[in-house]
Amino acid sequence: GAGQDVGRSCILVSIAGKNVMLDCGMHMGYNDDRRFPDFSYITQNGRLTDFLDCVIISHFHLDHCGALPYFSEMVGYDGPIYMTHPTKAICPILLEDYRKITVDKKGETNFFTSQMIKDCMKKVVAVHLHQTVQVDEELEIKAYYAGHVLGAAMFQIKVGCESVVYTGDYNMTPDRHLGAAWIDKCRPDLLISESTYATTIRDSKRCRERDFLKKVHETVERGGKVLIPVFALGRAQELCILLETFWERMNLKAPIYFSTGLTEKANHYYKLFITWTNQKIRKTFVQRNMFEFKHIKAFDRAFADNPGPMVVFATPGMLHAGQSLQIFRKWAGNEKNMVIMPGYCVQGTVGHKILSGQRKLEMEGRQILEVKMQVEYMSFSAHADAKGIMQLIRQAEPRNVLLVHGEAKKMEFLKQKIEQEFHVSCYMPANGETTTILTNPCIPVDISLGLLKRETAIAPLPDAKKPKLMHGTLLMKDNSFRLVSPEQALKELGLAEHQLRFTCRVHIQDPRKEHETVLRVYNHLKGILKDYSVQHLPDGSITVESILIQATAHSEDQGTKVLLVSWTYQDEELGSYLTSLLKKGLPQSTP
Amino acid sequence: YRDLHTFELQAPTRLIEWARGSRVCVAGYGQSDGNEILQLIPPPTLLTKETQGLCPERDFKVEYGGFSERPVYSLKYLPDTSLLVTSGPPDSSLQVWQVSAEDSDVIKPVSPIATENGTGQSWAKIATISARAPWVLHGSRLDRVQITEAESRKNVYTAASGGSEELSGLAFLDCNTLLLCCATGRLCLADIRQPQSLVEAVSVPSAPCSEQWCMGTRHGAQGLEPSSQPVARLSSRGLLTLTDLRKTSEFLALAKARVPSPGSGAEFLCVSWAPALEGCLAISGFDGTVHVYDTQSWDSSGREAEPIFVHKGHAFGVAGGSGDPPLVTVHTWHLQKPRTLLSAASDGSLHVWDWVQPCGKC
Repeated sequence: GAGQDVGRSCILVSIAGKNVMLDCGMHMGYNDDRRFPDFSYITQNGRLTDFLDCVIISHFHLDHCGALPYFSEMVGYDGPIYMTHPTKAICPILLEDYRKITVDKKGETNFFTSQMIKDCMKKVVAVHLHQTVQVDEELEIKAYYAGHVLGAAMFQIKVGCESVVYTGDYNMTPDRHLGAAWIDKCRPDLLISESTYATTIRDSKRCRERDFLKKVHETVERGGKVLIPVFALGRAQELCILLETFWERMNLKAPIYFSTGLTEKANHYYKLFITWTNQKIRKTFVQRNMFEFKHIKAFDRAFADNPGPMVVFATPGMLHAGQSLQIFRKWAGNEKNMVIMPGYCVQGTVGHKILSGQRKLEMEGRQILEVKMQVEYMSFSAHADAKGIMQLIRQAEPRNVLLVHGEAKKMEFLKQKIEQEFHVSCYMPANGETTTILTNPCIPVDISLGLLKRETAIAPLPDAKKPKLMHGTLLMKDNSFRLVSPEQALKELGLAEHQLRFTCRVHIQDPRKEHETVLRVYNHLKGILKDYSVQHLPDGSITVESILIQATAHSEDQGTKVLLVSWTYQDEELGSYLTSLLKKGLPQSTP
Repeated sequence: YRDLHTFELQAPTRLIEWARGSRVCVAGYGQSDGNEILQLIPPPTLLTKETQGLCPERDFKVEYGGFSERPVYSLKYLPDTSLLVTSGPPDSSLQVWQVSAEDSDVIKPVSPIATENGTGQSWAKIATISARAPWVLHGSRLDRVQITEAESRKNVYTAASGGSEELSGLAFLDCNTLLLCCATGRLCLADIRQPQSLVEAVSVPSAPCSEQWCMGTRHGAQGLEPSSQPVARLSSRGLLTLTDLRKTSEFLALAKARVPSPGSGAEFLCVSWAPALEGCLAISGFDGTVHVYDTQSWDSSGREAEPIFVHKGHAFGVAGGSGDPPLVTVHTWHLQKPRTLLSAASDGSLHVWDWVQPCGKC
């Protein structure tokens, strides 16, 4: 999933023989099996546990982890699942929340159970930022801060000298409660980045916030109530800090409420994982806990009926059930009130309907609800835009880039931009498509000291920057590569050395006796090869260094003598030279 | 303000051009390679007449993008075609580009329009029209003005030489009439049916120190005779002259804008008429502000005029404090929404703002 589609992020990477699954998300737009990634792409038969070395989850948003219990308990996977500590703490809460709504409220049957969520989380191994985790002897992973939501991380996956970095969702600009993503110059072979907002030039945060505050303020000033449906974790904290700061500055008195239950736990988690928030929060935490709000109080169901203005943050975010929907029903009929949707709403939810302009909604029991309250939408989601993507690539210096994005439209311009600026290849696969990246792995070879010394002694050392040609034998044994001298290799392998000897026949026209021919040859060679040792042996043969020359008469023709020239492989050069010399014939005059 | 949106481009632009379908085009002018030409889809807030406060989509989207090796100083779309033309240093040749190829979002270069390049030639100013055929009016100097037919690349017209001053702008008043403005302030009218003659409009008041001038013509005015619209000229000292082209012997109005002095040069001087508000014009290029004036009360005295609105947003740039304060490089009016303007500055910021009329006129 997530190749040219929003939702159900799930990427399979094969690196140096290891298989890693990145994220396991659910598509919020579908109500049937299409909401889960198609795991048959991984392997048609055979167990997933055998095929996959590990699963990594980047953060707790349902489009990245929503299908995890289905995957591990219903499809079947028992291997390790890695995620950061906050993600491990918060994931099961969101999964359970979503399960309740899907099964209890909508009455679906083919869905994971509470027990499955629990069993799934037992397989999770939590990791810290910048901690290298050995999955097995060869595969290691490391998490980097990604911003975006609490606990979101980018992961580096490394096998030997090949590595891949997966970003998940990230944000390159810090906001009120989270820092910006950061990675070191790890130079991975491949960087997999999200690119949902790659083609947008975003309106500045200040303008968004200003308009949001303006709307809330206007409504409250005229005595209306503002409902902000939120998911327990994520942008809600950002908006809380924003409103708190604004209330303080403007000295406003209208109450702000945050609905209880899930959200209490949320604030608790932010406090628990304070190291995951941004610098400013951590600095001021000592003096004042940023999540200890002065103006924001816990909500009680009864407060919804209180007269007068108020602002309420209530879950769940798409107005599809629960408290936020209850409050909505109470307040919808009054045009002084306002509901502000702070994020994406899935089709079929009340949130989606009212954003599409519907003002008459059919509720349970055939009741029609007329919506007179103002409906507004404000997106505060934190994703990287084109500038942010370029920044991240500049930080990490990958050799290749792969973009997973939310639109099918071809992003040729961005691809070219990345390729031109960084001189790397850029890929944009669709769902189900496999992209192959070629890497140049370095293969380290140990060279024996003896060989090194010998080779450097043969010739003067050339320029240190220029490559030097060496001769040796490469031994591949027990997963190691060694370069040794041939003698050493033979010894280690227990092989005997073979001697190669070449013999060549040269025909010479000479009617005289053999020993006279030999003498002629000897004198001829002695005269030419002054630097070599030329000897005439008592047995009638001639030696030139280690090369042997013997003369015999031709069996059929007495006038022809046959010279046998014989040399070892090591004397190839000299042997060939002698042969061609003798083939030219002997000089006429004989001393 | 009624509304203010601020955006940050990856690289600053010195042009904002409107294209078909309410698209907006910007381009980089940096000295190094890799300047981008971006055709953007504005957020729906800008497309509708009604201003909505909160809106799902508040962002510009890059619809098409291209890469230019030269800095892009000027860009004009060729009406009725899918082409656009750009110009920039080091010479006065024009680059032609193709937008909206199927299946790709890249703006591809097409062969350039070459011009003879004498010494001391700077970049060409451009205007386009699509009357008999898509034409490009271009030139960097008064004696090098010509019209090239975009598709055949044939030279259709060459203006009579009236001097070798550098041009600061040119425009088609209609399919036969050209308006040329020199950097010295000299304004010339030409009729392409009479290639030998150039008609001069009234010059600008001479000044002790050299100042540079640029012009603004009212485009987009439907059904009105082009020559009935006054032409505005703005100098680097802040002087503004309005000239009625039917009575070129005198100024229609003369005023002085309150601008910082010494000026920061004439590189980004820009003056433009509001398409939907009678007598309203905007100026920029002196600092990080954009001034809006109502010229209906102006006379020829040359008095200092009060702006009816000043946009200061760019002066409070994101960079804040570090380096030079941002300079507004260009501004333009929204074609339908009467009081909405777009402005860009040297720090890469792009603002879209809608001002509230102080009680009274306009």
